[in-house]
Amino acid sequence: MSQPIKLSIPSDPKYLGLIRKVLQELLDSHDVPEDTARRLILCVDEACANVIKHSYEGSCDEPIEATFTIEGDDFKVQIRDYGKQCDIGQIKPRSLGDVKPGGLGTHFMNEIMDEVSYCTNRAKGTLLTMIKKLRTGLTSTQDKR
Amino acid sequence: MSIDLKLDKAGDTVTLEVTGNIDMSSSTKVRDALAPLFQNNNKVIVVDLSGVSYIDSSGIATLVEGLQWSHNSKNKFRLAALTPGVKDVFEIARLLSVFEVFDTKEQALAE
Repeated sequence: MSQPIKLSIPSDPKYLGLIRKVLQELLDSHDVPEDTARRLILCVDEACANVIKHSYEGSCDEPIEATFTIEGDDFKVQIRDYGKQCDIGQIKPRSLGDVKPGGLGTHFMNEIMDEVSYCTNRAKGTLLTMIKKLRTGLTSTQDKR
Repeated sequence: MSIDLKLDKAGDTVTLEVTGNIDMSSSTKVRDALAPLFQNNNKVIVVDLSGVSYIDSSGIATLVEGLQWSHNSKNKFRLAALTPGVKDVFEIARLLSVFEVFDTKEQALAE
């Protein structure tokens, strides 16, 4: 796939299902195994949910731009927002030993993806980049522990 | 996909049957349905997840809240019939052993 697939949605939780469906279609068309696709979709959904919650603080009519690229063995997704910039050093998963609601989204992204990076070196908003190798350690979190 | 919630009460047990995806747009509805169940005399509260193919961190958080409410209210809180996709998310969160999980709704009600 030489050209990336780009999708822009409003920052309304009701459109998260749309982005999941588009990504599902894309991964299906590349014969990505079902369990792998499910996990990649979870990461993208969590990233967009974090944008709605933290960058746009619940505002529903701001843009979220997702760019998907599959090149060779690499699946790459970039999520761009134009909201409040977070202190990147403060973005960390909560301790899993502490059973409480919330804070799991970042854990999912770090656990499933091979690379997760945030760039705030721009006038507004954040660019999140996540990369996953599609042929290694996809289906088991054990492999990453 | 919208979410469908159905309550089934039998004696002092109650089952919340969830159908659809539990994500940021629907987890509040699940929470609103779940919360009052802990204020009534329900000995056992079962969430039947057989109709849920997708759950995100907000859905997991809602069920963790249910678990905390059950600890405070002494109700038993059980999850039943997790689909492979939902079970996988619980496993990544390492929360599967924290809940009472049953293969079927019937098993969850019988124990």
